[in-house]
Amino acid sequence: MRAVVKGGIGVFHPQGFLDGNSASSLLGIDDIEATLRLNVDMILVSLKRVIFFNRNGLDQFVKLFTKVRQQKHIVVGFCDYDKKKFDTIRKFYEKEMVFSLFKDYEIAQLFSNGYNNQDKTVLVYSEDKSQRAAMAIELHDRGHNPIVAQTLQDFLEKKQKSESFDVVIEETYLGDMGQQVAARVTSNAVIYTVGGFLDNEISNKFNLEYHNNSLNVGFRLFIFDAYKVVSMNVHALNFFAKLASSAAEYNATICFVGFNFEKTPPHFKEELEDAGIMFFEKMEDILGNKEVLEELGASSAAVVKNKRVLTKQIVSQLPHFVDAIVETLEMMTNAKAIKEQAKVERINVVKGKELLASSIGFYGDIDGMIVLVFPSTIAKKACELLIGEETDDETLILDSLAELVNIVGGKLKTLLSDAKVNVSITLPRTYNQIDDVLEVIGERKGVQVDLMFANDHFTFFLTR
Amino acid sequence: MITKQDIEHYIAKIPPTPEAVRETLRFLQAGEIPKAAKAASEDRALLSYLKELVNRPVYGFRNEIKDVAQIFMVLGVSGSLQAVYNYLLQVLSPKEWHFFFLNGKSFGDLQAELTVAWNKILSFLDVRDKEIETSITLLPSAVIISEALFNAHKNDVELIRSAKDIDLNTILIRLSGYSLFDIAAMIAKRWEMDEIVAQILKAASGKEVQSLEEEAVRYGKWMHLLLFYIFSKPEYIDAGLNDFLEFHIEFVEDIYEDFTKVMEMES
Repeated sequence: MRAVVKGGIGVFHPQGFLDGNSASSLLGIDDIEATLRLNVDMILVSLKRVIFFNRNGLDQFVKLFTKVRQQKHIVVGFCDYDKKKFDTIRKFYEKEMVFSLFKDYEIAQLFSNGYNNQDKTVLVYSEDKSQRAAMAIELHDRGHNPIVAQTLQDFLEKKQKSESFDVVIEETYLGDMGQQVAARVTSNAVIYTVGGFLDNEISNKFNLEYHNNSLNVGFRLFIFDAYKVVSMNVHALNFFAKLASSAAEYNATICFVGFNFEKTPPHFKEELEDAGIMFFEKMEDILGNKEVLEELGASSAAVVKNKRVLTKQIVSQLPHFVDAIVETLEMMTNAKAIKEQAKVERINVVKGKELLASSIGFYGDIDGMIVLVFPSTIAKKACELLIGEETDDETLILDSLAELVNIVGGKLKTLLSDAKVNVSITLPRTYNQIDDVLEVIGERKGVQVDLMFANDHFTFFLTR
Repeated sequence: MITKQDIEHYIAKIPPTPEAVRETLRFLQAGEIPKAAKAASEDRALLSYLKELVNRPVYGFRNEIKDVAQIFMVLGVSGSLQAVYNYLLQVLSPKEWHFFFLNGKSFGDLQAELTVAWNKILSFLDVRDKEIETSITLLPSAVIISEALFNAHKNDVELIRSAKDIDLNTILIRLSGYSLFDIAAMIAKRWEMDEIVAQILKAASGKEVQSLEEEAVRYGKWMHLLLFYIFSKPEYIDAGLNDFLEFHIEFVEDIYEDFTKVMEMES
């Protein structure tokens, strides 16, 4: 079974009847490993379309969860269930539950490191006091504003005022949570949350691949939320110094916020500052100040110091890139594409039309970035298959556009792999303003291919 | 990926009922088993299929049944009609399966399991109606149609489904306006089956059932749940059948308790 991967969460959707015999056929370690390769930080099994399950059936999944937890330290569990299913699972496992239960995908997202829509006001309730506290801490760590109901009556009363909350959490249970360094994106800055004593374990907990991908797709400001850091040793110091020097290659900035140096040697701060890391007392000092944000590079993709140019190797793979995008768009729109022209130049799009764009990076044997510029008509048409109906909701279209670019990335990966070129794909970015994507590309040259879909121009741009 | 023209081309290619089979069905409808057996003997492929079908373990006969008249006698009129329609569907099925991990034998097993379980359900509901009894035989046509239409697009389907949890039926509707069950209903029409069969099949999709007759929805519910009961068996999960259609729990909730009794399920 294949997982649907979105926002760093891989969800499997089994259907029907789940017992000891069927569960192992539905989900195997190969399926899990294929999903892990997509850099998810949460793996869930949806019970939305499971009408029957027994303990033997769930045990098969729980065994896999335990294995994944031990190896990867990511969040695992079930989602999309009703109260009856929730109570049954709690009864089956009582105090031996190491996995998590999220009533629905929306709630699971709040606890995901990859979720980029923070600052939600969340009403939290659980019968279990320690669960209430754990959820509040995890939500707070991820940039949300949890409001905890201490009693059922309190919860029911607060729930009546639905307009006061973005999300209501109930029938949810946090098992062992991921111990990776949590990351989130806000105001075009990537924020990592760290805490406790920082030692050489930081290199295991920090997702370097995610960080590098973020650099590749144009993020230039990285903030470490360090309010909860007690101290750090020389191993952590070296780690951050190295991180800062690699970021410098991209003209990116690394900042620490709220780091109290009371229990850390003072010269550590100097060494980190020498490596290029900046220190701020409060998050507001950065996020609340537009000028500082701009200066630190959050509002734009500053020109990369070491300008990277297209290589012969990437250009030789161009037919694969074009095939991937043409095949995907033809599949999604059920329309034929006509290639108009291909040229090496700076990106050239006719402004004034209603345009949407998305980009996705790739790295491995070759690396670079694909930018797709859609007239909104094609974007809408291409997303219809995923959305199921015509829509003018821009958020929904951009969301589906990201899924579409993911499909292009997947197709590209397969085509390149057939040509013995192995690459990994970054998370996609979408842009509702064409100027934003032009700013990210800057002065870089690339290969531009113009295509025609049902009388509409579509632009594909490949650069490094 | 799949256009309306592809589907129209596929429908045009569906063969009409062969003469010997048509005769067999006519005599069975009239309850004339000896004449039906004689007509069936004219079609060697049908004869061989019936022998193989009725001797499958799921039918539970102790001794091998070889003679076609004997086969029709033990199956009865409705069972024989089901067997002949199952044969027609087998003829429509591909020689080699690529989209699903199936073969002639496993597809035959699927047909037999669905038929036997359907008869148990109808017995529980105390229904004795030839059209309703034979309606189950058309259900696996959705699998055959999916194989035929999606075989050339296996990778594309996988990519779409890695981005969004949508089933083949939904993909087909969004691409062409036709559902798998619309096409199955056209097959039913081509084979001159009763209109209620087409309606039950459409209801068995669990989607947009409001426009269908109440009786069709009643049986469609049982068929929908039965389909996912069978598709939850390891051999059919491994064949890729568990997620080719979307299971609508809310559609079958009211019959679930009765279903567990009929299937003698342990909780």
